[in-house]
Formats: sequence, structure tokens, C-alpha cells
Amino acid sequence: MVATGTHELAERGADGDAVVRLSHVTLRYGDAAALDDVTFEVPRGQRVCVLGANGSGKSTLASVICGLLAPDEGSVELVGEAVCEDGSPDLEAYRRARRGLGLVFQNPDDQIVTSVVADDVAFGPENLGLPREGIAARVERELRRVALTDYAKADPSRMSGGQRQRVCIAGALAMEPQVLVLDEPSSLLDVRGREAILRVMGRLRAAGTTLVHVTHFMDEALAADRVVVMEAGHVALDGAPAEVFCAANAGLLESLGLELPFDLRLQLAMGSRDGAQERVDGDEAGAEARATSAGGLLPTEVSVEGASYSYGRGKKALDGVSFRVAAGESAAIVGQTGSGKSTLLRLLCGLEAPDSGTVSVAGQGTGTKKGRRLVRRRVGYVMQHPERQLFAQTVAEDVAFGPRNLGLPAEEVARRVDGALDLVGLGKKRDASPFELSGGQRRLAAIAGVLAMEPGLLVLDEPTAGLDPRGRARLRELLAKLRARGVTLVQVTHSMEDATRADHVIVLDQSRAVLDGTPAEVFSRANEVQLKACGLGIPKPLAHARALEDAGHAPLGDPLTIECLAAALRRCGHGTDPGPGAPGVGPAPIPREEASADGL
Amino acid sequence: MAFNIKIGQYYEADSPIHALDARVKLCCELAALVAMFCAGNPAQLVLGAAFTLSVVAASRIPVGRIAASIKPLVFFLAFLSLFNLVFVQSGAPLLVAGPLRVTEGGAWAAVLYTVRFGLALMLGSLILLTTTPTELSDAFDSLLSPLARLGLPAHEIAMVFSLMLRFIPTIADETSAILDAQAMRGGGFDEGGPVRRVRAIVPVVVALLASGLRHAEGLSRALDARCYEGGEGRTHLHEQRIERRDLAAVAIVAAFIAGMALL
Repeated sequence: MVATGTHELAERGADGDAVVRLSHVTLRYGDAAALDDVTFEVPRGQRVCVLGANGSGKSTLASVICGLLAPDEGSVELVGEAVCEDGSPDLEAYRRARRGLGLVFQNPDDQIVTSVVADDVAFGPENLGLPREGIAARVERELRRVALTDYAKADPSRMSGGQRQRVCIAGALAMEPQVLVLDEPSSLLDVRGREAILRVMGRLRAAGTTLVHVTHFMDEALAADRVVVMEAGHVALDGAPAEVFCAANAGLLESLGLELPFDLRLQLAMGSRDGAQERVDGDEAGAEARATSAGGLLPTEVSVEGASYSYGRGKKALDGVSFRVAAGESAAIVGQTGSGKSTLLRLLCGLEAPDSGTVSVAGQGTGTKKGRRLVRRRVGYVMQHPERQLFAQTVAEDVAFGPRNLGLPAEEVARRVDGALDLVGLGKKRDASPFELSGGQRRLAAIAGVLAMEPGLLVLDEPTAGLDPRGRARLRELLAKLRARGVTLVQVTHSMEDATRADHVIVLDQSRAVLDGTPAEVFSRANEVQLKACGLGIPKPLAHARALEDAGHAPLGDPLTIECLAAALRRCGHGTDPGPGAPGVGPAPIPREEASADGL
Repeated sequence: MAFNIKIGQYYEADSPIHALDARVKLCCELAALVAMFCAGNPAQLVLGAAFTLSVVAASRIPVGRIAASIKPLVFFLAFLSLFNLVFVQSGAPLLVAGPLRVTEGGAWAAVLYTVRFGLALMLGSLILLTTTPTELSDAFDSLLSPLARLGLPAHEIAMVFSLMLRFIPTIADETSAILDAQAMRGGGFDEGGPVRRVRAIVPVVVALLASGLRHAEGLSRALDARCYEGGEGRTHLHEQRIERRDLAAVAIVAAFIAGMALL
């Protein structure tokens, strides 16, 4: 039952009323222990956030909690049912328990079973054998809760990822679970989709639903009642967000493969005075490397002039877009789902010719079939989730696919395969099956396959989506390396922080390029309203500075990075203290109730 | 190389065809299709066309949408008609050009088979356009339930069918992504000679299979989490009830079949 009212709220966290009890649980896949002697309880009404690097066992923990996996050893009690005693599962008890447990996971496509929204939400209650009127009432109530009432008859395959994920949440809630497990529900979503999911979670918590939320985004964890960090199959840290994310834990958190939340990073940046200096040095080193190693590659510049494109006779997917990216430069394209970003990338790759206007890469236009073929030779395209396209028996074979298609001699193919694998850091995995790799490694293997073509321009569509913090960091390193080699980079990203790392930011909105310039120009104060109208945020350090200024702080300039913000704050006379009311002042991901509670 | 597959996609509209009970719709459809395939003379063909077009009009589905759903088979239709035109050699010759001889019989066969097949396709696509997958699978479930007593997993078959419809657009999107990615790496179907083109299918199929398995894994997790345990004990959001309009539909289709038999 979804508990409602303040009564439940008051009792949240009361002892002895645990809805999930795991004691000494061990679960192995083959020889590797995914969970190793885990003891863990969740009191009714608590919102628990589970963090950890890939392979730390947090997804396995989620599966055990929602009754889909029985452990090899230990006991499990779920919603009052003793489903597993000392490693022997009671299947009937599992079936009963599952009726009180809900699950939403990463990919909404795999969770939607039919092509009408309302029918999909009804699927769970139908399975529970509820009477018809009851089902209809639940469908209506849950669609209202996730703000999709107007989409009851829509086809989910035509909705955005965020909307589809909300359909999945409504479907789980319609079964009125006592515990709702969310396994990385927002990792594939854009900023707006992620915010909507967090709002729904805030509302559920207020209604007293027990939530177990697995995530890679630290800022989402701040809104939880409790944070659990997993490492190598056991619980490494467990406590309130403020306890877990304290400055004393910073080193530990990083060694556990986590990113630090914004406030903590700021606090640390304020402490280390040379932070900003380091970054500048890094940039200079990059520029030097660019100058020396560009010899091997043909300089590749991109020029798009008045390009328009539409699918069939429908609305224009791109409308008169113009911009230039100089050779060796990196550009970020931002814009919300449906703004035309992916179409633009297809045009840059020569997969499609513009209906009007021109697209040219290294001076070669894509207007003719021959032109597109020549362009495709010079462009590497890393599409969304490139790891889904791996097919060969070994990583090396997969990487060799492109060079072999070019008809290169065997030694040259081998040289390129080795070079690409070394570049992405998978040299040791060359003979492994791509399907044995971890998620992050699979993505790197797929990217190696593109790099083996030795493209002068690399086009990437949300390269960090769905990766854990370590995976994201490794990918950013790789992009920095490529840039140092003189490869021109164009990436579509949802992360404003990634966008500020680029030389050049292009904002797309409703098929048009509305802003174009350096990160400092694009994220300037004058553009803030327009960015918001495009469904985009501004980088967190900047948003933080604005929030402080609005609260009466002296002007802090336009800090795009945490180091710049820390420096600006220091100039204003703050010691290592991030400033008045700093925790919680940060923007969006913290639901409104939370922000207001912190006295905004 | 973006696919735009429109097969089996529900089109929402408020029409008498949409409102029919899905079981009645399926049975009427089947009967009408059989009658359509028995058409052999021009009068029957005209009646068939009139029937199909009036059903299409009543469904309030834009003609473009129906055309789009049969488009993938237009090439086949054209081939069928050409084949008949050239190879059916009965009746008086209409046109002789070297070895090519078109006869009256051939021309008639070309028209008959093509029109008949085209009309049947339109009727067939109409059922998918006017019925939601849930209604369809509920209808299959209910129609096949007598066979369930003989051990046929009627509900499960219906469920698989409904899931298939649901995944067609997803798989189509993935196929085009795989083709694009491989084209960018110098592979794909539009490069090299015929042998190379055929061999280019292998990586596409393997990548698709892997993605199919991934979907199957995710789907099974979702079905378990949502307590799906087969048809037993399940209830339905939508009620299946025969109403007056369903009886009217049966009468109309019966009249159509009688007409076809008499002409």
C-alpha cells in the first residue's frame, strides 16, 4: 500500500518496522562474489540511495531487494515475507513478496510491454487480478502523479525518454508497492527528464513510499534520507548524506569510484589554492601537444551554412543552421531532446545530405553521393550507446572491422588496432569477447573501432550517457588526448560541465541554432533566460554564483568551473568556507521542498 | 539509412471501426479476406473495392497512413502484376514485341491479382491501425481459449504477438543505427561487389541478435517485477462486450460475402 498522510512521515525510520531485511547475504556469479556478506535493513518510509562504481554490486543488491534474485547464502526478508533462509529460497514466499515490491530500471524500452500508455500502466494491476474499476482508478491516479494524464492514449515509442521512464514509474506505482526500487532510472535521460523523475521521487517520499534508489549522480543522493555506498560486494559507507559526504571522506569517496557532490568539491577547491593554477597548466600542455602532433593528421574543419533538413514531409528537423568549427577545435552541441542535435550529427557525418544549405568537412561538401562517401572516410561517428553495435568475437576483431573495410594491408590493420586499443586503454583486453567487458569498457572498445579509422573529425552523441563516474572520467581523458593529437571534436552533450570544457558551444532549440560562441559567451548572464527557455541549465558553478548573488552576495563574475568559483569566493574574503548558505543553494537536482528547507 | 516502419502501429481515431469489439473485428476481417481472395470476375472486384474503400472511409484513417503501411509491399505488388502480364499466355494477344507477348488473359490476371492482393493488404493493415495491441491480444486470448483446454498456450501466444508489435519500432531504430555505424566504418550494403555486400549482412545480424538478447533479458526482468505469471488469474482493464454495432458489422460483412457469392 502507498501510505499517505503525516502519520507515516512521523514514524519514518522507526526501529523494528523494516520492510527489507538482508542478513549475511552472499551472491556469486560464477566465482566472483557480487554481494559478499551484506547485512542491510530498510525501515518503512525511508528514501535510501545506493551508490558505487560499476561492478560494486549495487545493481545486484537492487535485484535482491526487489525479489528477482535469491542469494546463495544468508537470509532475506522482504515486506514481511521470509523469502530466503540461509541460502534456501522459498519460491512461494518470493511470489507473494513480489506483489509488494516495484522495480524501475535503466532502459524504459525494455519495461514497456504495450503501445498504449494507459494499457501499459494497467499491466501490473491486471497481473495482480484486480477488478476492472480498481485498475482504471489506479491508472488515472498514477498517470496524474507522474504528470502524464494527457498522454493516456499515446504511443510510448513516440514519447521522449523521460516521459517513457515516467510511464514505467506509473506502471510500478499502480501495483501499490510497499517498496519501490529504482535502478539508475535517470541515467539515460536529459536534464529536464532527470528533474521530472526527481520531482516524482520527492512526491513519493512525501507520501511515505519506501524508496531504494541506485544512482551514479551524487547530487541526486543528497535528497535521500540515507546513503549507502557499495564496494566490491559489501557496504563501504552507510549514513545520512551529510555524514557520508563530509570533507573527511573525500579521499575515500574518490577511491570508491564516486564523484564528489558539488558543495563538497567547492569546499575542497576553496581549501587548495593552487587548484585553478593546475587547470591552466593542463591547458597549456594540451596546446603544446596539439602544435607538435598535428602533423600526422589532416587538419579537419567543419563548416555548416544555412543547413535545413526534414524527414519525409514532416516538420523541419533542422532549420537554417550555420556554424563553423576550426581544425583541432572542440565543439559541444547542447539542446533538449527533439531540438535536432542527432539530425545535425547525421549531416556532419555525411549520412544525410541537407535539403538546402551546405555542410562541408575539410572543404568537402556532402551534397553529392561521392562527396558524402569521401566525408565518411574522414569522420568518425560515435553514436549513442555505441557498445550496442559490437558484434565480433574478440575486441581486436571488432576494432579491425573498419580498417579491413578500407582494404588496408594486414600489418597496417594490426598497427591501427593496436594503436586504437592502446589509446583507449584496452590493450590487455584485445582477445576478450566484447560481451565480457564492463559497460564502460564496452563503450571504449566501440570507440576504439571508430578511432581505428583514424578520423580527422570525431563526432560523438552523448558519449558519457549511462556511464559511472569512473567511466565518465576515463572518457573525458580520452577526449582530451584526442584533442591534443589535433582531432577536431564535435559532441552532443546533456552535461553543461562537459560543454564548458569545449572551445565552442552551440545551442540548438526547435531545429535552429540559437546561440553560438565560447562557453563564457554562451553562458553569459544575458543568455540565461533564453537557455532556460530552451530547457537547459547553466553550469553548476555559475548557477551557484548566481544564487549567492541573488541572496545579496557581492558580484562573483562568471565562474564556469569550480576552481574559478572558489577563486572568486576567496577574493571576496571567504576563507575555506564556501559562503553563506552554500549547501543546498545549488540549483535543480535538489527537489524544491529540500531547497526551501535550507532557507532559500 | 533511416527506416520508417509503419506496420502494426495503432492510429488513434474516434470511428465506428475503432469501437468494434476486437474479436468481432478479427472474425469479420478473416471472413472478408477469404471472400476477397475468391474474387474472380470484374463485378466481384468492383464490389470488393467498394467494400474495402467504404470500410477505410468509415475508419477515419488518413489514406496516406494506409498507403504508408502497405508501402513496403508495393514493390512485390508491382512484380506480381508484371509477372502475370508476361507469363500468363491465355486468350488473344494484345501486344507482341519480339519474344514478349502480352495476351488478354495475362492483362486480366495482372489486374485481378494485383487489385485483389492490394485490397486484402489494405483490409489487413486496417485491423492493426484501428485496434490497440492490448485489445488484439485480449481478443486472441479469448478466441483461442477453447483451444487452451487442449493444451494450446493461447494466452501466451497472444502475449508474444502483442510484444512483437511493441518491439517492431525499437528493433527498426536499432537496425538503422547499426547500419549507419557500420557504413561510417566503411561497411554496409552500398560499398563493394555483390559478395562483399552479402557478407556485410553478417555483422549487422550478429549485432541485432545481441541487441535482441539484451532486450529479452530486460523484458524478462520487467515481466517478473510486474508479477506477470501467464494468463491465469489475470484481469483486464478493457472489457470485451458484444454490442449492437458489432452485430451490425457482422450483418454488413455477411451481406458483402453473399454479394460476392452471387456475382
